Amino acid sequence: MNYSLLAPEILATAVGMLVLILGLIFKDRARQSVGIISLLSLVAVLILVILRFTDTQVFFNGIYQVDTYANFFKALFALAAVLVILNSSQYMERFGNKKSEFYALMMFATVGMMVMASAGDLLTIYIGLELMTVSFYILTAYLLEDETSSEAGLKYLILGAISSAVLLFGMSLVFALSGTTVITQIAGQISREPALIAGVILIAAGFAFKIAAVPFHMWAPDIYQGAPTPITTYLAVGSKAAGFAALLRIFIFAIPLTQFNWSLVLAILAALTMVVGNLIALTQTNVKRMLAYSSIAQAGYILAGLAAANQYGLKGVLFYAMLYVFSNTGAFAVATAVEVNTGSTDRDAFNALGQRSPMLAAVMTICLLSLAGIPPMAGFAGKFYLFSGAIQAGYLWLAFIGLLMSMISVYYYLLVAKAMYIGSNPQTGAMTVKAPARLALWVCLLATILIGVYPALLSNWAQTAISIFM
Amino acid sequence: MLGDYATIGIFLLLTILFPLAALGLAWVVRPKPLPDEEKLTTYECGVDTQGRTWVRFRVNYFLYALVFLAFDIETIFLFPWAVRFKALGLFAFVEMLVFIAILLTGLWYAWKEGALEWY
Repeated sequence: MNYSLLAPEILATAVGMLVLILGLIFKDRARQSVGIISLLSLVAVLILVILRFTDTQVFFNGIYQVDTYANFFKALFALAAVLVILNSSQYMERFGNKKSEFYALMMFATVGMMVMASAGDLLTIYIGLELMTVSFYILTAYLLEDETSSEAGLKYLILGAISSAVLLFGMSLVFALSGTTVITQIAGQISREPALIAGVILIAAGFAFKIAAVPFHMWAPDIYQGAPTPITTYLAVGSKAAGFAALLRIFIFAIPLTQFNWSLVLAILAALTMVVGNLIALTQTNVKRMLAYSSIAQAGYILAGLAAANQYGLKGVLFYAMLYVFSNTGAFAVATAVEVNTGSTDRDAFNALGQRSPMLAAVMTICLLSLAGIPPMAGFAGKFYLFSGAIQAGYLWLAFIGLLMSMISVYYYLLVAKAMYIGSNPQTGAMTVKAPARLALWVCLLATILIGVYPALLSNWAQTAISIFM
Repeated sequence: MLGDYATIGIFLLLTILFPLAALGLAWVVRPKPLPDEEKLTTYECGVDTQGRTWVRFRVNYFLYALVFLAFDIETIFLFPWAVRFKALGLFAFVEMLVFIAILLTGLWYAWKEGALEWY
């Protein structure tokens, strides 16, 4: 076995521990260097994964799999973590004397996600999931003086524990029927029977909690609003993508559609998620909360591609997950800047941002248009793949709902743009944005436009990644 | 196959019916005097409770429990490795050292952050 293929995971874990130790020894003096070390190591992980993208290896009798699919998601997580850490530079003052732990926990959460994407075994997926979620419990409650942050952390802990229990129960039922936890071996061992259906539905429900799909979405708005904004970004982008990565692998490999038509279950979940997420987002006046509901709706779009389970749909899932990193991080980065400068994320705080900080307003507008799926931005190409996949799989109604809801979503996204360009604000003067956060903004902006104008690059990459399923 | 599910179904039915039957039967045969003060105490024939049950207690309890748990699990991991020590060889030995190093880092962190102090 070629253990060097595990280098990304090992590197991220080692650096997470190192950062923890440096923080212990040097206390607050290490803050800057610790941030740079984590950032550099994540960039190194990204480069390692991209360089060895097509190298594949099955470890420990199928328990752990390094393949193009896993590598695609690992690149996604590393990228998201880099952007979030850059963006969190604006937020650091609020973290008090617990700065190095923040980086360590970010690293551990990233490792958890990487394990989820690579795991070829139900229990390994569960361990990765727990590593990720436990890190997120702490990160969500990171603003010690802020009551809403602590409340969000506690809510996430309790609801996360329940969803883990549901997921584990589903896994245990599938294990009871198949006698194995290795995903690729399950398919040959199961037959169609009631307990299997219960198991699959419980697994779907457990993951639906993690990706915040309706009707398992109730936790998301409160926690997204209460958590520190960079962490909200990582929750919405990374945690969700990790949930999709594991869900896709389990369902495609372990549960043949002939045994149980999970595709229809996911299609119904997707439709519900798109409708409810978008309709509730319409009435939100707080931008952070609006983005939380919008990210619920986005999960619905991605689920539509997963329900289709054909080449277009799966490619769409990966494509959309990646562009979602850029668009959503960009939008949240602007929200962070506004929150740090004005102390509020209400829509009124965004008034006249177009005059005060044209750059911030431009990034916000481009990213929101991308999330809405307006043509020159990346979101359009992603939705095109997802809904083409759904139509090909015979879910014309699902694509129709998706298109209708995308149109509705334009309204609430543009409300923010309207506030930024037409709204008036007694306060004037540019907002201060730290240099690392500015870099993150530029990356998000350029990537969102580039992927939209020239989708072939990312699309080919996604195509290689899903080749393991075809 | 369906027979298996019937077993589970009957079992489920019994688990619902049995406590209901037991409670119902007790309700039918037991004497029914008006409840007095003694009857309404939490432990009718035990020691009287002192103070309220909803009291604050130190978060340190949880920290101790967490640190204990980590090392409890460590033993479970070490045990099978120790039993097959010779067969597993050097690779597993190094693996175990790495594992213990990770745990010790955690302990170091907890110690330095004051998880083991009682204030």
